[in-house]
Amino acid sequence: MNINVGKNIRMSDFIDSKDNRSMLLDLTVTSSIGAQPGTEHISETLKQCNAIFDGIILNPGQLEHHATLVGGKLRAAPLVRVDWTNAYRDKEFCLPAASVTRVSLSDGEDALTLGASAAVATFLLGFGEDLESENIQSVSLLARECYRLSLPLVVDIRPIGGNITADNYEGSIKLGTSFMMEAGADALILPECDLDTCRLIGMWATVPVIMRCDEVPTSEKAQRMLEAGMTGIVLTEKSLRVPGFEGKATALKSLLHQ
Amino acid sequence: MTGSSGKTARLNRIFDPNDGRAVCVAADHGWMSDPTPNVLELRRILGQVVLGGADAILVSYGTALRMGNFFHGKNSPALLIRADWMNMPRLGGSNVSNILPAVNFKKKATSTAKDALLVGASAITIYYFVGYSDEFEAINIEQAATFAIECRKVGLPLIIEPMAVGAPVTGVNVTEILIASARIATEIGADALKIPYTNDVRSFKKLVDEAGVPVLVLGGAKSDEPRDALELVDEALRAGASGVVFGRNVTKARNPRGMVSDICSLVHGRKTIDQILDTGAKKQGRLRPVAANCTGCQMCEFVCTHSHSSEYGQDKSRLRIEFKYKPNEPHTSKPIVCPLCEKCAEACKEGALTIGTEGYLVLDRERCNACGDCVDACPLHLVFLDEDGMPVFCDLCEGDPQCILWCKQRAIVLTEIKGSKQHVS
Repeated sequence: MNINVGKNIRMSDFIDSKDNRSMLLDLTVTSSIGAQPGTEHISETLKQCNAIFDGIILNPGQLEHHATLVGGKLRAAPLVRVDWTNAYRDKEFCLPAASVTRVSLSDGEDALTLGASAAVATFLLGFGEDLESENIQSVSLLARECYRLSLPLVVDIRPIGGNITADNYEGSIKLGTSFMMEAGADALILPECDLDTCRLIGMWATVPVIMRCDEVPTSEKAQRMLEAGMTGIVLTEKSLRVPGFEGKATALKSLLHQ
Repeated sequence: MTGSSGKTARLNRIFDPNDGRAVCVAADHGWMSDPTPNVLELRRILGQVVLGGADAILVSYGTALRMGNFFHGKNSPALLIRADWMNMPRLGGSNVSNILPAVNFKKKATSTAKDALLVGASAITIYYFVGYSDEFEAINIEQAATFAIECRKVGLPLIIEPMAVGAPVTGVNVTEILIASARIATEIGADALKIPYTNDVRSFKKLVDEAGVPVLVLGGAKSDEPRDALELVDEALRAGASGVVFGRNVTKARNPRGMVSDICSLVHGRKTIDQILDTGAKKQGRLRPVAANCTGCQMCEFVCTHSHSSEYGQDKSRLRIEFKYKPNEPHTSKPIVCPLCEKCAEACKEGALTIGTEGYLVLDRERCNACGDCVDACPLHLVFLDEDGMPVFCDLCEGDPQCILWCKQRAIVLTEIKGSKQHVS
């Protein structure tokens, strides 16, 4: 008996089982800093994007309220962000974070109840030992729960703390990748990094690795990422602001799944 | 739209399905602050609120247990449970007049969604404090997320109340913080929001648009004039709000029922503020019995008693039905109602009992010396003293006589006074 059959089925909702490629959209930063350009009316954004992407990452509240706009055979699969952090509140936000915190928003059972095809957790790096250790513990416990529930766990690695420098940035991504695979993640989301790091992780990682991009990459850049071993691309809400977003995203999807 | 039939059904009890709006009254102040008069007289006030036509009432779990009768019946207000507790009103820095000022800001979850569901609640309401400290906000978010998960499980709507408090919150950034926190609350799992007004239609419209769930504006501290409170409601509605959750502006009002009724008129689109406050012609009337229509059912006596004291019975009715029996003839009945003859007011040497500006009898309890002269002066024996020695009299239900409303036979009607002898209290 394959105990992971549930995970495999759900994973195939957002990673195409024919080509093992995926294109996702992340709309969850709004839980930290409120609505951003392009996400003011989430139902409109979902209607615009649900046929383009393989999966869309939503916060639990939005998934609950807009469940009819995602999922099924023709629309993007819903993935649910199961945590919250104020780490994205910089000086431009009306209430900048003085100290960074991270708490749970949902759990595996709730994610399944919501109809999510995967749970997405955040792994913050560079904010000190306390936050890091709590983050590792909570992702590990979630991985155990997701295993029991046959729910894929995707971990989003975010080396954005004050201890991250230009010198240790690439190393931090490798560290995060190692930690999260060891913790039990079924797929990883990495920030943009240099091609050498991409290639190393592409060879080494035993789980799908998807790269986070704030704007739709050029076809050359996307091709290089795929050749380096990346499974796909996660576009953030920032990409929605680019003129001609729909056309560019559709072209990217064609490239990914060609 | 919510994904759960339980949530949809319960939201339909709060928000009028005809217009998607709701008038809610917050009566949970005794749970978090000093026992002020609106807390001490909660039962009487809630009776008034119910009669005013509120769509929902927010109370603590304990109050729901003690005063559950207000929520019985299909047309009664929906029950909203405050599922958390906080000590913000007692924080020493902000209000040193408290009985026991607090130093540190605390907030705790005190009921589960299932607890609320089992007492018949249609939703729970919780706070989301933003601005006090990053750690405190994280605790708030975590608690809210826990409630959101529970609510999804049991199909109970979650109303989140974002509040911007703390040193970093200033006049410059408060609007932006409220707009962001409204959206954050939705992302966590709110099905509706209870939130302060941002003081202008444009920014509140942005808040409502970006929130994506029904927004109920809260009233905050009691306004000096009812018009101020109604104007806040009017502006919020123009910005797209789905209604109000008013607390002290109702529970501390001189006439809670009238206030709720006025807000309902505004929210449910029946009247404008000017129409609501233009009471001159509407309320200057007096009761007139139509004996031929009276069946002697005595419903008016029950309604009169209940509308003023929330009690069942006829003892405290300010009108009565008189029956006449004649041998070999069907008995007849006739309502004996206050004709506003003003003899009671004329008899009051202290000037405590007068006809108010709105055209009905009002009592200044400070002036009243409980002499009982008004009782003796009433030719119809409709004035009596309560257990405190204060006169009980027909006040036309402060302009909205319930006996008329409930008498389907139209045995009591309101007639306009011509050449009214009006006194100003």
